[in-house]
Amino acid sequence: MTTIEDAARAVRDTGGELRAGGTDVMTRPARPPVDLLGVPGLRGIGWQADGSARIGAVTAIADLLADDRLTAAYPALAATAAAVATPQIRNVATVGGNLLQRNRCWYLRNPAFTCHQTGGDSCPAREGDHLYSAVIDQGPCIAPHPSSLAVALLTYGATVEVHGRDALGVTDLYGDGSDPARDHCLDAAEVLQAVRLPAPAPSERGAYRRATAREMAEWPLVEAAARLTFDGDTVSTAAVAVGGVARTPLLLPEVAEALVGKPATEEALAAAADLATARCAPLPQTAYKVPLLRATLIDTLTACAAPAP
Amino acid sequence: MEFTLNGKPVDVGVEPAETVAGVLRERVGLTGTKVACGTGVCGTCTVLVDGRTAASCLLPAGTVAGRDVTTVEGLGGDHPVQRAFAAHDALQCGYCTPGFVVEAAAFMDRWRAGHGASEPSREQIAEALAGHLCRCGAYAGIYAAVAAACAGEHDDPEDGSADGAADGGAVAPVRVEALEKITGAARYTADVVLDGQLEGVIVRSPHPHATVGEIRCEGPLAELLPPDRVVRYAGQPVAAVAAPTRAEALAIAARVEVEYTVLPAVLSPDDETVVYPTKESWQAAPRANEGPLASAKWNGNVRGPAGMSWRGRTAVKRIEKARSGGGQALVEATFTTSAQAHTCMEPHGCVARWDDGELHLHLSTQAVTRVAAQAAKRWKLGPEQVHIAAEHVGGGFGSKVNVTADVVAAVELSRLHGTPVRVVLSREEELVDGGSRPGVRVELALLADADGGLAAFTMDAHGDAGVSIGSNAAWHSRFFYGNAPRRIRDYDHITNRAPGIPFRGPGLPPMLWALEQGVDEMALRRGEDPLALRRRWDGNAKRHALYDRAADLPMWRDRTDPGDGRMRRGVGVAAANYMYFVDPGTKVSLAVEQGAVVARIAAQDIGTGSRSVIAEVVRAGLELRPGQVRVEIGNSDHAYGPTSASSCTTPSVAPAAEDAARRLRKALGGRTLDEAEGLQVVGRRPRDRRGYVTPFPLDHFAIGRGFTGAVVMTEVEVDTLLGRVRPTRVWCGVSAGHIYAPRLARNQCEGGVVQGIGYALFEQRRDDPGTGTVLTANLEDYRIPGIADTPEIDVYFHTEGWDHVPGRGVGLGEICTVAVAASIGNAVRHATGWRPLDLPVRPDLLLEGIGA
Repeated sequence: MTTIEDAARAVRDTGGELRAGGTDVMTRPARPPVDLLGVPGLRGIGWQADGSARIGAVTAIADLLADDRLTAAYPALAATAAAVATPQIRNVATVGGNLLQRNRCWYLRNPAFTCHQTGGDSCPAREGDHLYSAVIDQGPCIAPHPSSLAVALLTYGATVEVHGRDALGVTDLYGDGSDPARDHCLDAAEVLQAVRLPAPAPSERGAYRRATAREMAEWPLVEAAARLTFDGDTVSTAAVAVGGVARTPLLLPEVAEALVGKPATEEALAAAADLATARCAPLPQTAYKVPLLRATLIDTLTACAAPAP
Repeated sequence: MEFTLNGKPVDVGVEPAETVAGVLRERVGLTGTKVACGTGVCGTCTVLVDGRTAASCLLPAGTVAGRDVTTVEGLGGDHPVQRAFAAHDALQCGYCTPGFVVEAAAFMDRWRAGHGASEPSREQIAEALAGHLCRCGAYAGIYAAVAAACAGEHDDPEDGSADGAADGGAVAPVRVEALEKITGAARYTADVVLDGQLEGVIVRSPHPHATVGEIRCEGPLAELLPPDRVVRYAGQPVAAVAAPTRAEALAIAARVEVEYTVLPAVLSPDDETVVYPTKESWQAAPRANEGPLASAKWNGNVRGPAGMSWRGRTAVKRIEKARSGGGQALVEATFTTSAQAHTCMEPHGCVARWDDGELHLHLSTQAVTRVAAQAAKRWKLGPEQVHIAAEHVGGGFGSKVNVTADVVAAVELSRLHGTPVRVVLSREEELVDGGSRPGVRVELALLADADGGLAAFTMDAHGDAGVSIGSNAAWHSRFFYGNAPRRIRDYDHITNRAPGIPFRGPGLPPMLWALEQGVDEMALRRGEDPLALRRRWDGNAKRHALYDRAADLPMWRDRTDPGDGRMRRGVGVAAANYMYFVDPGTKVSLAVEQGAVVARIAAQDIGTGSRSVIAEVVRAGLELRPGQVRVEIGNSDHAYGPTSASSCTTPSVAPAAEDAARRLRKALGGRTLDEAEGLQVVGRRPRDRRGYVTPFPLDHFAIGRGFTGAVVMTEVEVDTLLGRVRPTRVWCGVSAGHIYAPRLARNQCEGGVVQGIGYALFEQRRDDPGTGTVLTANLEDYRIPGIADTPEIDVYFHTEGWDHVPGRGVGLGEICTVAVAASIGNAVRHATGWRPLDLPVRPDLLLEGIGA
């Protein structure tokens, strides 16, 4: 493919599926792939005069980590990128692909089952083994959204450029999670071109944490990203987002608001984290994610509030 | 498509659906790049693309057009990392090794460019290698190798071959086949390509319980059904088909029509259907254990009790009395363990070829001799008409001791098509039907007497080995902690799930998970040091030496109050006891060929180092230089060799090799090798002094006199906020007599510790409760330990007490791993005050347990 239009047309003509690095598409039965890697202009990190950044959709996740200016400007994004998958996956997997990947539900990915996402009208995970499913109920499908980068990008108020339509915020990219067949709101032939990150605030802090059983290379049970700015000891702005708990990555404005205007004491962080649990409606096997959501938020906020080493 | 491969331009035709791994292996024929998981998780297929590592199993072939690809073969064997892997024995079965080597080489080059010749931290190494899995658990050696290579210790080719002196022992053979494995030259069954070879795939039942009627297929099809044509678990083999490529075979398989009459399935204890309704069907039930089956009654889906009680009624009476008295000296609890998949990095695989009525198999097996005998019987051939080759085997752990479905499929398809057929299981098949350790529920009651002695215990073990029987766990407790009265009962609870099969110390890990936590609890109740209590209860002198050693460790002496902070450290200890097995029929032949001695035996090396042990024993016995001995194993035509099971390989082959060396020395009579071309001798495994416990071998195994022992001490750090348990230090003391190959033995014990950590904290086969379909059918959802989960491991060998065994050494591959989980359980109890009863200790269970 030489242009975005070509790619979009190929998807429409063949009933195909866009493919960037392929680290998700290649692990599941996909429609005929339409490769984006050869399309010019979709790769690389650029900077605008106002200090904002533009990341091309097929920029490899490893390239985010290799960019010193980007990692300094957006520490929560850098920490998130470093936690994604494994080095050899990060070398190939792209930013756009991470945002638009399919979820990892083991029923979806097992050919023995059908579900809302594959033309069925039920969710075998609800009745079955849903140890790793959502704890915040947004709709018929309970597969947590797999994009860690989206969690970080939510805290930065990032927007995505989609070819042929107005830029949209990351929240709008995912909607409210009520449509069980969708992991995002783009149509099959819509090409995500780039992610735009507003200029960072001076001396802002960021952090990302995930809860897992193993040390590395594991999808998170719960993950959280946070961004804080301070006026002396007092939190002046805050943004907090979580993943692993709902069909979409979620911004938590109630947690952020509770932090603003107060010093980031242990008690204040815990009280703010508590607020997130009000959203939870656990399934029989996901009750543990209620305390774990709170714990991951506390861990993330504590790391974020700690003065830079 | 044109690209540069290992520095040379290549031009190959590719199909759109192909991956780079497929192009390298199938089109170019470079099989150093392995495919073990197929989903980018395990890193076995790692290559460099324009200098950056990538999982080639996920790379669409077209993405490397015009680019520069480097595989393990392209490193040339002289990268410092490769020398470091050989020197530090950073491998066992070797199947994951090419991927590790490529990643580590890229890391070392980056590291040197940025940091010069300095040593990276463990965490930096772990981060770099986080995308690689080694089922043998050779991570300790990998840490050491990468650190040393980065620090410049292997820059000089002259230093690279061996560091035997570092082990402090004169006898320290390196792994003799290390270079082949490190360069990608080692050929495994999955790498074999014969002329005209077809790819076979297996059609599997989607139903957990059904009778099979007609099977329709457009071409030749091999049925794989049991005689009663009943499938008893989802994923059970039904038939197999073959085609020139795997993709074509899969397409044919998808079009095979199978008539199923679905039967009600047994997936919970309440289900009323009977899985094995007739006596004939009992006989056909697969076994979860090695050796003969203890007799037991069948009652519907429950088989049992099987047991080896000792004064069982006395034990029950004492415990009932204590229970009614509410005694502090009675510890009672119910423990559970989960099904653990073997998931060897090299999946089950077989290449079958019929030639003039004789059967030739390339096979991934840990039982060349045994499988050859089984195959001869099954296909009605003479023993001399079956030829099995298993040059390199990518792990076994108990899952590759029989004629498995891959073998039957390959052999039958090869006969049908009249051409060689290769059948290699996918990772999904491997995780569904490649074997697992049964999940067990153990009910334990443990009573101390007024003086703190062991008064009695009862242990009931209820195993769910799916359709298998003989998940015996409790019976191992017969031989531990003296002769106090004990009632021991084992039950099988048969369900429509994939068969449990023997797995490294079958039955011991669940038994010890219960017993060793019970002993720990008793010590806590009594306010006694758990090592001191074990020393009183345990009469085994060899283990006493380990207790003494363990009690002196700083980890134990200096253990502190874990406190009530977020991160809490605890230390736990557990012991193990296991029988000593040997195959008394083992032989090793030696031949003088072109100035070298060639040792031949129909044994196999599944990563445990049997090849190296033989080489070193023969070399030492004849006082030769290392290069003067060559070992040819993995060939069923050679002298009789044992199955690599029950830790019997080393105590069987090493004395036979020693005997052969002795005979050759005598036959040489002072001649040099050059003067004795063609000279041949056969050595036999001499009998143990005082013979064996069993008057004659059962299925070739004899139970020898004496028990092996282990004491494992683990320090964990528990994150009480996020619920993670992280083992930080492990001391693994093993009593197995003389150690023939210290570095390899250490490696195997380190790997045993890693597997035990997986069992304790991560590994759990999970299935859909409604259909029994395995959900953990990939290495993402089935979690095995990675390098970052590996603690610092200190292995200690107590070498005395085996003078009655020729060579004075016995096996240690199982004893080193079986108590690890229990030591972690006890460490978690120390760190948090909460005792985990259920395995694995996942974050959700830990958080619930500590009341977070």
